[in-house]
Amino acid sequence: MGKYLLRRILQMIPVVLGTTLLVYALVFALPGDPVKAMFGDKPVNQAVAAQIRAEYNLDKPFIIQYLLFLKNALTLDFGNTFAGQPVIDEIGRAFPVTIRLALMAFVFEAVFGVLFGIISGINKGRWGDTVILIISLLLISVPTFVTGFIMQYLIGVKWRLLPVTAGNDPGFLDLLMPAIVLGSVSMAYIIRLTRGEISSNMNEDYVRTARAKGMGRRQVFVRHVLRNSLIPVVTYLGQDLGALMGGAMISETIFNVHGIGYLTYQSILKGESNMVVSIVTLLTLIFVVTNLIVDLLYAALDPRIRYA
Amino acid sequence: MIENTNTNAKDEAAQRLEAMQREQGPLLEVQHLKVDFTDDNGHDVHAVRDASFNVYPGQWVAIVGESGSGKSTSAMAVLGLLPGTGHVVGGSIKLEGQEISGLKGKEYDQLRGSKMGLVPQDPMSNLNPVWRIGTQVKEALVANHMDIAHEKRSKLAKALAGDEVNVKSEDDETFIGSEERPALLAAAKQALTGIGMSGKKLDNAMEFFSQEWTAGSETRWRVADDLIKAGVNDDKAWQIAKEHVTGSNMNDRIAGLLDEAGLPDAATRARQYPHEFSGGMRQRALIAIGLACRPDLLIADEPTSALDVTVQKRILDHLQTLTDSLGTAVLFITHDLGLAAERAQHIVVMYKGQVVESGPSLEVLQHPMHPYTKRLVAAAPSLASQRIISAKEHGENADALLEHKVKGEQTLEKSEHIITVEHLTREFKLPRKKEMFKAVDDVSFSVKRGTTLAIVGESGSGKSTVANMVLRLLEPTSGKVFYEGKNIADFGKAELLDFRRHVQPVFQNPYGSLDPMYSIYRSIEEPLRIHHIGDRKSRAKRVRELLDMVELPETVMSRYPNELSGGQRQRIAIARAMALDPDVIICDEAVSALDVLVQDQVLHLLNDLQAERGLSYLFITHDLAVVRQIADEVVVMQHGRLVEHATTDEVFDHPQQQYTRDLLDAIPGGKLKLGLD
Repeated sequence: MGKYLLRRILQMIPVVLGTTLLVYALVFALPGDPVKAMFGDKPVNQAVAAQIRAEYNLDKPFIIQYLLFLKNALTLDFGNTFAGQPVIDEIGRAFPVTIRLALMAFVFEAVFGVLFGIISGINKGRWGDTVILIISLLLISVPTFVTGFIMQYLIGVKWRLLPVTAGNDPGFLDLLMPAIVLGSVSMAYIIRLTRGEISSNMNEDYVRTARAKGMGRRQVFVRHVLRNSLIPVVTYLGQDLGALMGGAMISETIFNVHGIGYLTYQSILKGESNMVVSIVTLLTLIFVVTNLIVDLLYAALDPRIRYA
Repeated sequence: MIENTNTNAKDEAAQRLEAMQREQGPLLEVQHLKVDFTDDNGHDVHAVRDASFNVYPGQWVAIVGESGSGKSTSAMAVLGLLPGTGHVVGGSIKLEGQEISGLKGKEYDQLRGSKMGLVPQDPMSNLNPVWRIGTQVKEALVANHMDIAHEKRSKLAKALAGDEVNVKSEDDETFIGSEERPALLAAAKQALTGIGMSGKKLDNAMEFFSQEWTAGSETRWRVADDLIKAGVNDDKAWQIAKEHVTGSNMNDRIAGLLDEAGLPDAATRARQYPHEFSGGMRQRALIAIGLACRPDLLIADEPTSALDVTVQKRILDHLQTLTDSLGTAVLFITHDLGLAAERAQHIVVMYKGQVVESGPSLEVLQHPMHPYTKRLVAAAPSLASQRIISAKEHGENADALLEHKVKGEQTLEKSEHIITVEHLTREFKLPRKKEMFKAVDDVSFSVKRGTTLAIVGESGSGKSTVANMVLRLLEPTSGKVFYEGKNIADFGKAELLDFRRHVQPVFQNPYGSLDPMYSIYRSIEEPLRIHHIGDRKSRAKRVRELLDMVELPETVMSRYPNELSGGQRQRIAIARAMALDPDVIICDEAVSALDVLVQDQVLHLLNDLQAERGLSYLFITHDLAVVRQIADEVVVMQHGRLVEHATTDEVFDHPQQQYTRDLLDAIPGGKLKLGLD
């Protein structure tokens, strides 16, 4: 077990290096010169531009820039934005908002995904199941920004039930709608996953054996059907937690939530390579760590799986 | 006639039991049961049309029939656990005289476990992989409130330990606790020394006690009884029993139940998960679960058909002893008439949802009335007495067969042995272990042209590994395989293709060895296509011929494997193997997964094909009963080694090794004689 953990943690190093290099190269290859863009409509002062380039290492070749970034990142110095603020501060401001949003979306998709999945799985083939399946199919096939705008218009503008946008320092109600939009697609997948698992596990022989022991229907469902069905659901949920943080961009942009996704989007527009790469590194780490936790959780939930 | 091994005393006991059963009336009374399933189009399918049978207290009743005869459905109807759309549409099911077929969910729950237990068919799928074995046994106790009753009684007994007051209970249910067991043994030793016992005699008595007195299984009453039998006087014995047997805790009881079912080292085993158990061990755990709450009726639905013969015998023996000592009646469902006759006092034969015959076991076996029962008796593999002689049926001389002058063979230079295996060894690396595991250890044999050599052994004996090496699907660690005198390891690409053409496999699982996405036509045609034989038209003709050969109608060509039965699929697999006119067919448990009647048909088919075409078979099986019907020579394997090699008759009449004798003994109903000519 200890060996397995160590191996997994060592495996993270090439993953993180690889992604940062890739993202750095992508930002480097973006068309347009960020320094020129900073002058806006004014004529470009070549001397000032050169000074800025030197300050941000933009005059050096790509690989040197990347290595310098790495060296600084190891000491937790992620550099400054073009506006002069430390990147780490910007991320520190945006990250808690995204965590809050992602956790709300996570709870939403877990609770409702499993709940509707169970209802659907138990009533397979009946009208309740059909309705749930159609809705889940809709959520999967319609792009998030469409569902987002529709909800924003209906709930926010027309019925005025929830705030239309979140803005700075959003509270629970401000984030409710973005969280639902963010979690809706995953919820649909969880519904389908849970439904499939429940309906196939209900026909397992050991379920009949449990009934033959004299256990009641409800007890058998909880201990033998639900317990087994939730193993793949929990692993899906675990992996999705990382995806929710990274995937919050669309939802954050629609609802003007000043989180990581919003920040990434703005930074890409401005060509802030330091910022973009720092955020991606962070998200990669979150992704890799949640993946590891999921794998460990899987072994804890399913005794047949043991790591060595 | 039956071998008269029964003593008079046993006969008397049987008569007394019968008289008692008649007096008490049936425990289970099923009358004119009708069960329907509803198919996708809303039509009713009649699974059970008219089934009536009785089970008396303490009696073993067997329901025999092929798959689809409604035997399992009837049993599940009794348990109220019909799958899917199944529902009882008529007749009555009475337990202890009370009608139960119309009971509601909760009322039925109360009967299951405590009045009726189940030992299901497939031990692999009937235990939940995510719960510990002990937990799953505990569920049975908890569901029937045996846990509360158990703890309460234990507490009371502890409070009154050594007191004169009797703890009143319906049955004696005060078990030995694991913690008090050492003290109990010490007290017993003291008592025995007290009555002047010493030396070897004392050791023997103590040995007996420590074996018998299992925590959680042996009761206070039994302990006292054992002591009295050993010579301790009544008062002293009861005093010890009352003082030192004050009840077990839940874990002791669970371990005790598993121990009763024959699981060694039960306390440790209870903490393990199903995947750490072998099939036989799982089945023992399921028996422990089925009997946990001491039901009056145990429904055993083909409890051992998924297991090896030797394990099968051990488990059934144990189940029989256990149910006899508990007085549990057993409704035993099986497709093997021999097995039914051996175990049950009464046989019910079902066919197409109806009971066609019912009576005392020997009566049914020796004087079958219904044509279907006659067919079953004739087909029961365990009862067949000799090799099927196909040549005779085809009007050929059987002697000619033995001299290998078979049609289509123009051999002069060809070697007598078509396959020869020399010192074959195969090692596997086990995870986390340094030493290699020898799956096959120095095995040598050869297959004579036109004959059948059977390799027999339990699962894990290495017989399938041998088959894979003969097929060159697996490289041997050392040793050689010769085909027509040539070492198959030296074959180049072209030679190997030729070898593949002449040596064809038929595997165990007819469900897994046909591609579900291929039509039957495509499956059979594929080998012809791969070996570039004929054009489209001649290939189609050949496929028709092959289907005709395995006695399947041409209409199956356009169907897919999931639309065929197991027996039909195995015929397709044989037809596919025959497509290239092979010399050798390697059958790896080719009939093991099939119903007896189907198995019988397939064996006859293989025999006919051998007689017609001079085929050689390497027949791998765990079932000696099948071997008797098909093989000329037998190789017995155990733990990767060849332990016996002789002609079939010799092996059956004069087995040399104890292991072979065990395998022979394990054939159910082997000692029964039939009334059929």
